[in-house]
Amino acid sequence: MTEINTPPEPPEAKTIEIPEKARTLPSGEREFMLDVSTSDLEVNMGPQHPATHGVMRILIRTDGEVVTGGQVHLGYLHRCAEKIGENVEWLQYLPYTDRYDYLSAMNNNLGYSLAVEAVMGVEIPRRATLLRTICAELNRIGSHLIAFGTYGLDIGAFTPFFYCFREREWMMALFEKICGARLTYSYIRIGGVFNDAPVGWLKEVERFCDVFEEKWQEYYDLLVVNHIFVQRTAKIGVITPEMAVDYGLTGPMLRGSGIDFDLRRDMPYMAYDEISKAGVYDVPLGRGEKGELGDCWDRVYVRVQEMMESIKIIRWCLGCIEDGPVIGDIPKVLKVPPGEAYVGIENPRGELGHYVASDGGKVAKRCRVRGPSFCNVAVLEKLLPGTFLADSVAIIGSTDVVIGETDR
Amino acid sequence: MKDFDEIYQRLEAIKAPGLLSADRPREGDPEDKTDKGRAGEAFVLIEPAAAKEFLIAVRDDAELAFDILADLTATDPDTEDENFWLNLHLLSLGHGHRLAIKAMVPKADPVVPSMVDAHMAAHFHERECAEMFGITFEGNPDPRNILLPDDWEGHPLRKDYEFPKEYHGISCE
Repeated sequence: MTEINTPPEPPEAKTIEIPEKARTLPSGEREFMLDVSTSDLEVNMGPQHPATHGVMRILIRTDGEVVTGGQVHLGYLHRCAEKIGENVEWLQYLPYTDRYDYLSAMNNNLGYSLAVEAVMGVEIPRRATLLRTICAELNRIGSHLIAFGTYGLDIGAFTPFFYCFREREWMMALFEKICGARLTYSYIRIGGVFNDAPVGWLKEVERFCDVFEEKWQEYYDLLVVNHIFVQRTAKIGVITPEMAVDYGLTGPMLRGSGIDFDLRRDMPYMAYDEISKAGVYDVPLGRGEKGELGDCWDRVYVRVQEMMESIKIIRWCLGCIEDGPVIGDIPKVLKVPPGEAYVGIENPRGELGHYVASDGGKVAKRCRVRGPSFCNVAVLEKLLPGTFLADSVAIIGSTDVVIGETDR
Repeated sequence: MKDFDEIYQRLEAIKAPGLLSADRPREGDPEDKTDKGRAGEAFVLIEPAAAKEFLIAVRDDAELAFDILADLTATDPDTEDENFWLNLHLLSLGHGHRLAIKAMVPKADPVVPSMVDAHMAAHFHERECAEMFGITFEGNPDPRNILLPDDWEGHPLRKDYEFPKEYHGISCE
């Protein structure tokens, strides 16, 4: 699979000679509509387009309603995160991690912290590990709610979007109680978490789980199995398993194509080893139930099912959390021993990898971020050609791209 | 799931193209204060010119089966250093193991054959790596800038990069 969608060439104008007689209407007037060009048209979708979920520009070449080529243009939100990582201290970089995938900031904090901890080799207290897991899974629910809500919005279903934001609001209120921020948390720190959960917080999380399980059924009935929604998404944007592996897709994009792989279960970090062995959660997979294996519907289905699996993980953590310290013995000015490590974790969008290299100083030698959206978006250039223009919106939405992460 | 030593033995057994050596984390020498050892993960060193063949070999071997290229990036270790590091991170879906790979690319002539034939995932990563470090990936099908504007001067992630004073009449100071 080496062929690549070549950049759109300048369209060739097709000129058709139209005899003067054919141009003259019965009324004697001249028909000008026959001069309409029939050449391929290049359309810029974005950078300011609601369906691109941020400032992404996709150059689309169309022949009438059919897309004949697509080219992804990134970089409108590039904020030099990796360069900043080489210029600020280890702990100071943490707030920048919030800002690449701003819908799952907890997971970003976690990925960076785990990478630095892998070089340092510090012990994390048990309570901190469980608090981290609860927050990461809560954030996964919030992120999937956005993915699912805005996807409905993309293809014309307005109501689910409001339903999603209703539950997400509660999730953000929970995070506000534990760390004071609603979007950019910086809660998970190197060595543990920033502070302990306030009194009654864990009880409220439990109540959130109860309510969410009830509401989840509403989403499922309202959108996922809705006939119109299925018609718009089934058999569209099919990613075969071979293609998914070749393009290095991860997360729901990979599982939507039926490949049974989840970093939490297959390469466990933190407490996930224990949780997986206890058989607490399943890994939902696309099965081509409504159309073909790996179509847009399968990807949405995987995300929606994953929310319920996250609830199960949260419940397990709530059941065994005990009092104790929440942060290890970490100095204020962190010095990381010389070394390097790559740690990949399961973000809502796929594998978030952090490669950090240290030479023993206060700042990193290299702080590389492998954003899952950046890799997932590459497949669009392969998927778009040959589809209808209206379906291209459904395909772009199903990749669940966050531009903060592709551009970093 | 194999650990690093088993993977390395297998790499030697199948004579993976361009394989040089393994670098494992080690403790520092207590008597020599300048030697602090190395922490973190183990990686293998390979020849950059054979990177593509290496990736294909470990992808197609049934016992290793590194079918996903998780990450491709580079590192500029120091201004005085003569080499860039080319960092590759592989992941095996079937076996659930990882492999970190490093190749030394000379700064004087930073040219590496493109790895797109082995993994399509390399495409966007190579474009990013090329603009950030000035490494040329020969054979990349679409070697434009991806995150930076087309007319950007310099390679920002090099350690000797000088921040521009202005860009199209916009002062950056």
